[in-house]
Amino acid sequence: MTPPVVHVQYDSLERQHVTARLGMWVFLASESLLFAGLLALYAAYRFAYPAEFHAASAHANLVIGTVNTYVLLTSSLTVALAIHATRRGQRRRTVALLLATIALGLAFDVLKAIEYAQHLAEGLAPGGYYTHDALPARGTVLYVTLYYLLTGLHALHVTGGLAVLAWLTVRAQRGDFTPGAHIALELGGLYWHLVDLVWIFLWPLLYLIG
Amino acid sequence: MALPHETSDSDSHSRGPGARGYALVWIALVALATLTLLASRAVTGSGGLVLALAIAGAKAALVAAFFMHLAGGRPIHRIVFGVAVAFIVLLVLGVLADVGTRSIASSYVDELGRPL
Repeated sequence: MTPPVVHVQYDSLERQHVTARLGMWVFLASESLLFAGLLALYAAYRFAYPAEFHAASAHANLVIGTVNTYVLLTSSLTVALAIHATRRGQRRRTVALLLATIALGLAFDVLKAIEYAQHLAEGLAPGGYYTHDALPARGTVLYVTLYYLLTGLHALHVTGGLAVLAWLTVRAQRGDFTPGAHIALELGGLYWHLVDLVWIFLWPLLYLIG
Repeated sequence: MALPHETSDSDSHSRGPGARGYALVWIALVALATLTLLASRAVTGSGGLVLALAIAGAKAALVAAFFMHLAGGRPIHRIVFGVAVAFIVLLVLGVLADVGTRSIASSYVDELGRPL
């Protein structure tokens, strides 16, 4: 077990945690703005090509997209419960809930990969690689390209979040987190919730506009 | 060195809603997701998208308030995240105001009737 270190500029561990939380929220705010650029592009092109976006979104796999929505919502619950378990000093429960969160995150990525493979087999590839004959209109290519940019950037965040969760699971198993000192777990949980927040908006924008 | 009063601004009051509370939030999220799915079949077009985004906003508010402890946490966290959300809304509304009024701009003519 690694005891928590109070850095020299802080009066107490609590003060250090207050600062860490604020830093994390600023990071999450800047992450949100990273997605905002693509959402603005989406708004512009959806306005310009409503019919094409409508037709193209019918080719998104609604079943996989919907299952992934429930998967991510549930993973947000398990990570919140993991932090709750740590606050109650339940180490084994924390580890089990973190492993459940990782399993759900992996399921999301696997389903996303299956979906991408289906799209590519149909010729629904981004930009100049688009070869789908039934939907040749320009707006459709824009929808498909934005679909890959938005879901791809999101999937990268899921994958990064999984790496963080794996590291947190190892630390939780090692007994690094105590009811009063588990800031890394708390911040990792915040990041995972942001990944969920982004998907909450991507799902209707990409799958349900038909 | 920490003085006793300095620990009074800790986040210890923001411990979240508890296991039962988290489960209730999750049930609400799943119900809202299902509602979104059903509504998208019933209401189509732009109205459907606005409705779906409104429900998404409610889901996001639940996640941020309870799972992320924005409710009951320090006000500065709400300010930081609220400003980011406001900037995103401004950006998207600004873009829509641009593309939504281009047909008006293209009808402008100069004093000789030539398009500007």
